[in-house]
Amino acid sequence: MSENHLAIANVPIQQWGELYTPEEALNAGTVFQDLNMPFFATESVMGTTNPIANDTGSLGASREQQDREQLMTKINQISFFLDDLTLYLDTHEKDAKALKLYHEKSQECAELKKQFAQKFYPLTKLCVLHCEKGETGFCLQDGPMPWEGACV
Amino acid sequence: MWIYEKRLQYPVKITKTCPKTAQLIISQYGGPDGELSASMRYLSQRYSMPIKEVGGLLTDIGTEELAHMEIICAMVYQLTKNLTIEQAKTAGFDAYYIDHTTALWPQAAAGLPFTAIEFQSKGDAITDLTEDLAAEQKARTVYDNLLRMIEDPEVREPLKFLRTREIVHFQRFGEALEKTKDKLDSNNFYYFNPEFDKNMFHGKL
Repeated sequence: MSENHLAIANVPIQQWGELYTPEEALNAGTVFQDLNMPFFATESVMGTTNPIANDTGSLGASREQQDREQLMTKINQISFFLDDLTLYLDTHEKDAKALKLYHEKSQECAELKKQFAQKFYPLTKLCVLHCEKGETGFCLQDGPMPWEGACV
Repeated sequence: MWIYEKRLQYPVKITKTCPKTAQLIISQYGGPDGELSASMRYLSQRYSMPIKEVGGLLTDIGTEELAHMEIICAMVYQLTKNLTIEQAKTAGFDAYYIDHTTALWPQAAAGLPFTAIEFQSKGDAITDLTEDLAAEQKARTVYDNLLRMIEDPEVREPLKFLRTREIVHFQRFGEALEKTKDKLDSNNFYYFNPEFDKNMFHGKL
């Protein structure tokens, strides 16, 4: 690690520390407890459950939509866990704990996306091959557009 | 090459139409410190970065910023998709409505269009990484300001998420700067331009 020098910015290298669970991490915006630094103006509403990023599903939604939202929420959580770990590994490429976790979560994520394509619709081009109606019609545009807020 | 994934990085489900809020947060789409600007900054700077891992980090953060742009756009879209003309008039959204109806167009809160003049790609690793550190702080301040003004929890949750990402990215750019400094002479980091005068590394990159 670099020591301090004059006339240049200095940011200490992050050390591996306590992590959030994938559920907590998506709510907090980071996997790393050390990097969660909330703004005071958001403190008053802290402690309440996030109305969006939980797995309770929408009230009054059909069973299928509830199942779909539950699986989508899991995918969002695991994928975000990987997003944040990726950036950590970009600057800590030899960190054994981070690497092990990255491999575990990657497998879990791939499995969940496969399930999602089999049960509902493909999330990427690469998921099309897991899609049931793959041979009778093109399924890539199935399902709601992500910005509609229909499948959270 | 990029692969599109048909989901938002952080879910957005806003049930209450509010053109006023849309007009404020659209700044994080096309404003001076917005996500589009952030993405284009990092994805432009990466090509000439002397240290491969730093170019890789710029790719990954630049890609994540595209996902953040999509989150902001989803918020603006949901805040205005059921807009009535009356609401547009009373919220001061009428000028935007005239030019774009309820479509998405990258502009700042004050109406200035998105422009590449908002960011730099300077061709010097220290200069660019220092700009990136500042960019993350500027975006954090915008999220702070939005969080002071907006009360709807359905809007606040994604904004809080995005604000934390600015802090995480700042940390990573700081680490990238340290990596760059490690390859330079600490007695004078400014003896040569690490992006242009690559022969000065004498093959040690």
